[in-house]
Amino acid sequence: MASASQVAEPVLPPRSEVGVAGWARENLFGSWYSGILTVVSAAAVVLAIWFGLRWTLMSANWDVVGIIGGRFIIGGYNTDQACPGNDCFWRPQAALLMVTALLGMLWVVAAGGVVKRVAIAAAAAAALSAFLPYSMERMGLDVRLLLLANVPALAIGWALARYTPLGTGRWVAVYGVVVFLLTIILLRGSSDISFAAGPLRLHIPMPDLLRPVPTLYWGGLTLNLLLAVAGIAMSLPLGIALALGRRSHLPVVKILCVIFIEVFRGVPLITILFMSQHLVPLAFPENFPRNSLFSAGVMITLFSSAYMAENIRGGLQSLHPGQAEAARALGLAGWQTTLFISLPQAVRNVIPTIVGQFISLFKDTSLVYIIGMVDIVEIGRTFILGNPEYRVSTKEVFIFISIVFWAFTYGMSYVSRQLERTLGVGER
Amino acid sequence: MADIPKALTYRGIPVWRHAVIIQWALQIVSAIIAVSLVAWFFFNIAGSIQERDIPYGFSFLSREYQTPIGEHFLPYESSDSFLYALIVAAVNTIVVAVLGVGLATLLGILIGVARLSSSWILSKLMLAYIEFFRNVPLLVQLLFWFFIVLTLPPVREGYVLFSRIYVNNAGISFPGLVGGNLQAVGVWVGLAAASIALGALVHHLLSWREDRTGKASYPLLAGIAVAAAGGAAAWLVVGSFTGEAPLVISSPEPHGRFGRIAGGVTLRAGLLVLLVGLVIYTSAFIAEIVRAGIQSVGRGQIEASRALGLSGIDSLRQVTFPQALRVIIPPLISQYLNLTKNSSLGGAVGYTDLTNVAITMTQTAPAISIFMLIMLSYLVMSLTWSLIGNLYNRRMRIVGA
Repeated sequence: MASASQVAEPVLPPRSEVGVAGWARENLFGSWYSGILTVVSAAAVVLAIWFGLRWTLMSANWDVVGIIGGRFIIGGYNTDQACPGNDCFWRPQAALLMVTALLGMLWVVAAGGVVKRVAIAAAAAAALSAFLPYSMERMGLDVRLLLLANVPALAIGWALARYTPLGTGRWVAVYGVVVFLLTIILLRGSSDISFAAGPLRLHIPMPDLLRPVPTLYWGGLTLNLLLAVAGIAMSLPLGIALALGRRSHLPVVKILCVIFIEVFRGVPLITILFMSQHLVPLAFPENFPRNSLFSAGVMITLFSSAYMAENIRGGLQSLHPGQAEAARALGLAGWQTTLFISLPQAVRNVIPTIVGQFISLFKDTSLVYIIGMVDIVEIGRTFILGNPEYRVSTKEVFIFISIVFWAFTYGMSYVSRQLERTLGVGER
Repeated sequence: MADIPKALTYRGIPVWRHAVIIQWALQIVSAIIAVSLVAWFFFNIAGSIQERDIPYGFSFLSREYQTPIGEHFLPYESSDSFLYALIVAAVNTIVVAVLGVGLATLLGILIGVARLSSSWILSKLMLAYIEFFRNVPLLVQLLFWFFIVLTLPPVREGYVLFSRIYVNNAGISFPGLVGGNLQAVGVWVGLAAASIALGALVHHLLSWREDRTGKASYPLLAGIAVAAAGGAAAWLVVGSFTGEAPLVISSPEPHGRFGRIAGGVTLRAGLLVLLVGLVIYTSAFIAEIVRAGIQSVGRGQIEASRALGLSGIDSLRQVTFPQALRVIIPPLISQYLNLTKNSSLGGAVGYTDLTNVAITMTQTAPAISIFMLIMLSYLVMSLTWSLIGNLYNRRMRIVGA
């Protein structure tokens, strides 16, 4: 009996199974072909890094990125045609400050985590770009100070949400909508407002700083982001409505939704955009103000909502019918079942595909060149075509644009993964 | 209840609370809204067309287009009609779509499988490929490749690889099979296809016999042999009738004063750039689909197949892949659809695809009519892909599930 109570000395796994050697044995040289693949791909990585770094640091001429500079961000917004006097640069920057403050509020509302990292990264990137090595003539002190102000803006937003009753999700959502509208108004500007109705005469003079800038001149990354934000905000509710319509048992509603979804999914966005340019002016009176930005936003939203509808429909189909049946058995009305039981679960189940659709919407904003809008890609293209002496630096321009896009899209998928983890998708 | 007039009830329930009536009212209201929106839109357009004297209708289709189309696979002259020009452009789009789908599928499967490799470094390398090319707009990638091709030397000073392959800013030319007599090629391709079908039939019958009797019948070998023999016989027959081989290997060679390259197979710059861009972009998506599909097959399936003595490759081919396909096919088809639609970016890189030709046409023909035709063509292409996907889905459906 004495021997039975004796516990055997635990035997450590063999040295080849643990530590670096064990990891390498399992993950790099698991079998002979895996070993070959490892060696070949390691060689490829080394070569890519070697030639990549050599090109990036020595051959590439990054001056061209600096020369285009702020045009990447705001396009022709601050040029002489758009804004005589070139003093409109503060308007996009003020909009950026509002967004940073919004991020600061979100940080508190979302209780840190991924939002905190995104907020800090955004404010830091803006503040750091105040120290770009441009001459003071090209990038004035005012520009730099406005960029630096993003740090206090973040702090103000954070403090507002932390110490005032504004720090609830509802208020932040309201503030988000307000920021978007203010951004549009600020970028658009306005001439003096005259208003006469009978005895009432109103004349609101507008400061010269707010002179109107036609949307034709809005451009660069700002344009991409504006279209993406508007498209995302509008296409999700529209997509949900279409998905519910397609699953409805009312035949007329169903057919209308199916036709809409299939037509918009079946045709390339570029064709839809180009057609909108021809058809929309015909559908409105001749003196109706033409606005490419608006019609681009509408078309991108409609296009994206058709895809969104299919994603949401997938989520709805993945639900067990017992969920809706149980809700009905508990006495919930049809709309309550949909709104409080089916939709939240459906949307949660398809977060990755929804975010994937957001990402492709953001990428699709680069197609607005077809109707003459000058987004960040078009800025690069027209610069290269207009300045043949920079033809050799084309790679640098497009690699820079790729990295900008990549940073945003990767950020979006990063947030989505964190969101999935928080909501416990696939664990319940 | 008593104070509700009887006229306002339907089978004893007030009309505003009767489910059937509410549903019908909803349908009628939404139909009216939709119809009046569409009608308003079209009446306005029709009004503007009359008011502003804008041409419309489809009579332009028989007119001469009188504009060159840079790249075309069907024979085309500027004196051909608008309708024929549209067909030529549609074929351009179909060629890019079919080539792109084939190549992107191959590359995507390769990358997706490599992403699951037991070699950590290879798997991370593929992850980097997927994450980069998926997240950058296709237009940016296309322009990148486009300007790289533009920086290549002109035809006369182009690179020559292995003294056979010519690379320059007009495209890439390499040796390949070229048909002499178009009819002879057509006949041979038809006969070859028939012998491949015969080979497939032989394979099917022999494997059925093998399954039933357990006797080794070598179905794959026999099938390939039948197909090859049929193809070779057809080659001889067609060759003896026309006096020349239906297809000959032709090498590109510089000709004339400007060093224009003739012979061989030439991928012109526009097609090349569009194809490279589409294939790289789409393969990143396909790789993720393939990875997810393979991972969706239960671990037990693979372990069981290994326990039954199947080798790694056999277990992938016979157990994992057929089950993964069921998960892979629907999203794969939607990627094919995306690729087809993305080929409309061809105009940005100098390829005359359907959209590009249509945009050019709007300068000399009514835009509305053209775009109605274009939307219809794309819808037909999309529906074709959906149809293929649905047919496959029906065939692969789990029986009894």
